[in-house]
Amino acid sequence: MQLEKIHYDNKIVKAFIIATVIFGIVGMTVGLLAAIQLFYPLFNFDLQYTTFGRIRPLHTNAVIFAFVGNAMFAGVYYSMQRLLKARLFSDALSWTHFWGWQLIILAAAITLPLGFTTSKEYAELEWPIDIAIALVWVVFGINMIGTIIKRREQHMYVAVWFYIATFVTVAVLHIVNSFEMPVTFFKSYSWYAGVQDALVQWWYGHNAVAFFLTTPFLGIMYYFLPKAANRPVYSYRLSIIHFWSLIFIYIWAGPHHLLYTALPDWAQSLGVVFSIMLIAPSWGGMLNGLFTLRGAWDRVREDAVLKFMVVAVTAYGMATLEGPLLSLKNVNAIAHYTDWIVAHVHVGGLGWNGFLIFGMLYWVIPRMWNTKLYSTKLANLHFWIGTLGIVFYALPMYVSGVVQSLMWKEFAADGFLRYQNFLETTTQILPMHMLRATGGALYLTGVFIMTYNLIKTAYAGKFVANEEAEVSPLVKVKHTAGGYWHHILEAKPVLFTVLALVAILIGGIIELVPTFLIKSNVPTIITVKPYTPLELHGRDIYIREGCVNCHSQMIRPFRSEVQRYDPKGGEYSKAGEYVYDHPFLWGSKRTGPDLQRLGGKYADSWHFRHMLTPAEVSTGSIMPAYPWLYEQQIDKSLTAGKISALRTIGVPYADGYEAIANDELDSQANRIVDNLKLEGLETTADAEIVALIAYLQRLGTDIKQKDVATSNE
Amino acid sequence: MKKLFLIFALLLSFASFAQTEAASSSAATSFWDDPMLMFYTVVGFVFVVVLLVMLVALYMLQVLNFMVKQATRERAERLGIPYVEQPSFWAKIWKESNDFQPLEKEADLMLDHNYDGIRELDNHLPPWWKWLFYATIVFAGVYMVFYHMSDTLPLPLKEYETELAIADEQAKKLKASSPTAAIDETTVQLITDATALADGKTTFLNNCASCHRKDGGGDIGPNLTDEYWKHGGSVQDIFKVVRHGVQGTNMIAWEGFISPEKMQNVANYVLTLQGTNPENGKKPEGDLYKPKESAPADSVKVQASL
Repeated sequence: MQLEKIHYDNKIVKAFIIATVIFGIVGMTVGLLAAIQLFYPLFNFDLQYTTFGRIRPLHTNAVIFAFVGNAMFAGVYYSMQRLLKARLFSDALSWTHFWGWQLIILAAAITLPLGFTTSKEYAELEWPIDIAIALVWVVFGINMIGTIIKRREQHMYVAVWFYIATFVTVAVLHIVNSFEMPVTFFKSYSWYAGVQDALVQWWYGHNAVAFFLTTPFLGIMYYFLPKAANRPVYSYRLSIIHFWSLIFIYIWAGPHHLLYTALPDWAQSLGVVFSIMLIAPSWGGMLNGLFTLRGAWDRVREDAVLKFMVVAVTAYGMATLEGPLLSLKNVNAIAHYTDWIVAHVHVGGLGWNGFLIFGMLYWVIPRMWNTKLYSTKLANLHFWIGTLGIVFYALPMYVSGVVQSLMWKEFAADGFLRYQNFLETTTQILPMHMLRATGGALYLTGVFIMTYNLIKTAYAGKFVANEEAEVSPLVKVKHTAGGYWHHILEAKPVLFTVLALVAILIGGIIELVPTFLIKSNVPTIITVKPYTPLELHGRDIYIREGCVNCHSQMIRPFRSEVQRYDPKGGEYSKAGEYVYDHPFLWGSKRTGPDLQRLGGKYADSWHFRHMLTPAEVSTGSIMPAYPWLYEQQIDKSLTAGKISALRTIGVPYADGYEAIANDELDSQANRIVDNLKLEGLETTADAEIVALIAYLQRLGTDIKQKDVATSNE
Repeated sequence: MKKLFLIFALLLSFASFAQTEAASSSAATSFWDDPMLMFYTVVGFVFVVVLLVMLVALYMLQVLNFMVKQATRERAERLGIPYVEQPSFWAKIWKESNDFQPLEKEADLMLDHNYDGIRELDNHLPPWWKWLFYATIVFAGVYMVFYHMSDTLPLPLKEYETELAIADEQAKKLKASSPTAAIDETTVQLITDATALADGKTTFLNNCASCHRKDGGGDIGPNLTDEYWKHGGSVQDIFKVVRHGVQGTNMIAWEGFISPEKMQNVANYVLTLQGTNPENGKKPEGDLYKPKESAPADSVKVQASL
């Protein structure tokens, strides 16, 4: 057989690796800043661009899409060429992909601090960037499928299956969740409202974890771990079973982010049971990784690459057991909205993604530069300092999560909450937050050590831009009876892709469609009306400032929550209250109290003073100050556009309402200004703070309208 | 292992430090006064001892194991038969539950797959893993049946109703047994009990100080230390304002947030601030209030004693 000479493209891998390291450092540094802000509010710098509400999404986007994203592309492009015995489909597409992705990251880094955000977690970027993401993703997809088509290996290895599942699922998730109605170039409203928006968002959010942080990295594990250990993969059969069960089951589990909320019960229960069924498929990946090391464990002790990978795979196993347990109703009742969840995702992020990436980099860079690692000692130091960092990060957060949750729920003997003041529970956990920041700083230190080590390695070697390989051309072998039927499927990439698509569509369709079509899922509340124009502006400020990062708007049906947030009305949150909420703002973490029933609790002047100097009004508060809201004005020329955009997506504003909207806005604003004047507080009617106060005072009051009407009579 | 231990101990010490601090600031009782302190100390001591004993026992077991092995090996050498090490009990369990094949027989399991040098074995699914998967699927089915078909187990709203019913029951009992649970503005009393006033102070610092200042000198809310009151200065008047709030101002209604007893305590604590005249107090608002002639004698005494 004639051997063919081909060249693997290492240059594109190098580019993605450099981006990985740079954005790893950037993203984690921003994360450290956010962590420090939570016990030392001074670090919000009193600047609108650096408050926690905007820094936190910057951190999550940077580490997920820039750090882990670039690492994913590096790993996929490196391994895929070798697994398929083919250079990447098109160099032009590769570089379009690379620069397109970096431009998206740049756009995110600029727009998020500026406050351009949809407020949907891990999907904060506004609509023009969403379109760019979709396009670049398609470029990646074509490049990948193209490489598969021109492969010289008849069958696709398990890593490639995971890459295919990643591509199709992320495409579906991103497109469906990003349906939004543009108002201006940097402002849009989610197509969905309230309960539906929440369901779509967490179907997306959960599966972003599944198909952006998990499946591509399982693929990467399946390539780099056996290579580094020089051992055969433990069980081909396990690969098949856990791959299909994982992608089929994962997609259903999203509703576990919405337990005890206004989401219909049947959807919540589906979220619970599919999360539990996910334990084994996830662990299948861990076991296949760890068992591959059978007979090589003595080397794990010495080899830093293997050490990183073993901890990564173990962290994956721990996080994927913890996740399903957190999905149980009784555990979720304690853990939701607390630091426990933050600890959980960081075991996955720092342990699984981070350590697997580090292992991959330590393995691949000496090979691409044709040399040896500069210092195994430094790599080992990185390993230990990183592990210590994870421990110091996670343990305090577990403690603080449980402590705070129990304080929220504790009733004294007199039948009232023992810690009625939310702040008492916040100040209690600040020492834990300090420890957490220490853990993060340790982890980041490890990354700096790695960067130094890798740069030294690269300088010591010579970069091989085009790695030569001798491969035999594709000879199709007819399948004989008796073997694995799945092996036949592995030779049919198009059919394989279609089947993977079907597998991931089923769960989504069964959960999403009924929630949209069946009316009983969101019972109507007649008194719930659309927001007034001023409140709409206020809500957009609430979104811009990222208030949702710390404040939920979802009171779960627990006595302790109703007692805390609505002691007199006694109303937990109902699905019908959110029908005009584009997007929903339920939140996922309570660093501060829930705000769903805030309307009417305090006078306008309280909010006016509180937003200016939170720590003075609430002694010990860690909320940043928002002085710019008192200087900036709302843009009334946008009112009409906002109204008509919302009408298009189903909010029943009367025809022609645009014409009088600004008059109504003015009169509502003037009422608030007059109220403030009574207390000696001066402001103008178009100041942003006035709109925000209007929105805050509206929150959760509609449901009580009937009571007010009857009591007035 | 040792490292982990150290970290955990460190964490615990931090947590207890945080709790001590909060307890001393909010409840005004020191850590050392906690009646449970003795109990926790004993439990902690017992825990540490048990842990140490277990560590020593484990170590002894290992030593014993080693010696037994040594003896068998020597015996085998003495008898001139080859020594074969027996796998330990746990190693056997581990091997069986995973259905591990011996590494030497790996070649038989090797599939003809070769991807960039990566080979694949045809090992069985680990049996315990397979059964775990089956078990979770059964769990899922049973869960859906119990919650959505037979209604055996309560969904969130049902849970909430039950929770409320229990709370109602407790509240009724509390009302019947303790008169403080039913205090309102007509029955609120002047009190001089130091514990009650201390409790009132805690409530004040936690909830009122942010608007009335820690010393009651007034900020967003009015000065509470002078003789001028917007809504009357009797304990009944103050209780009423605390309970119902004042519509249209920042004084929210505290009913439901804190218990009637706590409202009585805090109203009484506010009265103790009369005449303290803190620095930079807010200027008087409202009308001059003098305790009525007909006020009970002991209330005058309270005021005088302060």
